[in-house]
Amino acid sequence: MIRFENVGMRYGMGPEVLRDINFHLRPGSFHFLTGPSGAGKSSLLKLMYLMSRPSRGLITMFGHNMATTPRRKLPALRRRIGVVFQDFHLLDHLSAIDNVALPLRITGFNDEKVVEHAGELLKWVGLAERLQARPATLSGGEKQRVAIARAVIGRPSLLVADEPTGNVDPAMGSRLMHLFQEMNKLGTTVVIATHDVTLLKDVEASVMALENGRLSFLSRR
Amino acid sequence: MNLFSFDFIKTTFSNIKSNKQLFSLSVATNFIAFTVLGIFFLLFVNLDILFSSWDKHIQLIVYLDDKISNPNKKKIELLFNSNDKIDSIFFVSRDQAWESFRGKFSSKSNFVTSLNFNPLPDSYTLRFASGPDRLKNIRDFSEKIKNENGVESVEYGEKWISRFEQFMIFLRGFILVFGVVLFSGMILIISNTIKLSIYSRKDEIDLMTLLGATHQYIKVPLLLEGILQGVSGSLLALVSVKLIHLYIVFWFQGSLESVFRGLEFQYLTKPIIFSVISTGIIVGVLGSSISANQFLHRHNSE
Repeated sequence: MIRFENVGMRYGMGPEVLRDINFHLRPGSFHFLTGPSGAGKSSLLKLMYLMSRPSRGLITMFGHNMATTPRRKLPALRRRIGVVFQDFHLLDHLSAIDNVALPLRITGFNDEKVVEHAGELLKWVGLAERLQARPATLSGGEKQRVAIARAVIGRPSLLVADEPTGNVDPAMGSRLMHLFQEMNKLGTTVVIATHDVTLLKDVEASVMALENGRLSFLSRR
Repeated sequence: MNLFSFDFIKTTFSNIKSNKQLFSLSVATNFIAFTVLGIFFLLFVNLDILFSSWDKHIQLIVYLDDKISNPNKKKIELLFNSNDKIDSIFFVSRDQAWESFRGKFSSKSNFVTSLNFNPLPDSYTLRFASGPDRLKNIRDFSEKIKNENGVESVEYGEKWISRFEQFMIFLRGFILVFGVVLFSGMILIISNTIKLSIYSRKDEIDLMTLLGATHQYIKVPLLLEGILQGVSGSLLALVSVKLIHLYIVFWFQGSLESVFRGLEFQYLTKPIIFSVISTGIIVGVLGSSISANQFLHRHNSE
């Protein structure tokens, strides 16, 4: 499903931030990505959610070689990926429910169903009272939950989350992890970048570690 | 998704709302440019009406030689009668002409009454059928008839008609060149406004791209915004030109009527109104497309 072969990445003319990355993620698998700050976790995730291009190597996403896939096909591939950004990336002029509904609206879904579905998801993450709130009025944890709801609303084939439980209390953290596991059971491949070692203990998943831009597997499942 | 789907329209208005000042500035600039163009059109339309009304009054006078022979006179009359574009033919004898001339000018000049001979020739006054080629028909026929034996001269105010025609050609050309300059300027203005609007929403567009939005999804609200800028500017300009028209009619209609033989000062014609609005749309589409395409192209290359 997702295959990285000898992938390297650098920003502009700078040094390589990722070196010789090789892995294969099977459909429906669950992975954690760990490593110290600056190890290249966010850069690796950017390659996965098709925000950046590698400077060398081969990336295959959902059977498409990304080096030869035409640009016009990228939007359709991106719609198969749900992303929880570390800094949330919520649109300030939209309400919480409209932020969550955005991926489905982009796809052209019926607006009534989109709103209904977005509302249900926000209730599920504990934001039933904050449907119409603007991001500026939400706390860090609330923003994170809106971002997670937005990432999962399209039932993506791949869910990529950068520190998804960093701003929530332990109870909400385990609730969100439960959501990710449920999605994983339905066939979504999940990749979570985290510093939180307690998460690694609670969930059956393979653990990838990045250090100085090189990837190693601590455990495989 | 349809170009005018609710989602696109909603996004467009939300974009405008968050960039109110920029949008208003662009509409105002377009409004000024279209108003200037509209005033020129107003001038052109009314000069054209004036010219057409003069055109209706133009008649061809054929002056005969005093020594014209009867066969030549018959031949000339035959030429008149065989031309189906001539509506009516009046013969004015030299005595009738002299009587009429004396009646008009004897009170103003002693010279006229002191003349003891008639200097005027016999003449024919020809009225041509109305139609778009009327002036051309007069011109063609006068060229044909003036070299006939027995014709002294022909007269239909050719010199001033030519001058006025040349002025109208110049005005048409001037409006065209001026229009092209304004058109390019307006495209540049809208293009830059949309560019600023895009850069102020760069993060949003980046996010939409990551969520899988197609170029069309990102571009359509920008195009609609550009069209709204162009159309608003042109509509406001049409309203302001209408106000100018009403002002002129209210204060100067009487004077215009007396100076220009009953000229009724008109507003822009429907085709011109339609052209101004269409130009607004074209300017909006071109201006916003240039910026949106440039941005998306650069965005893809990153």
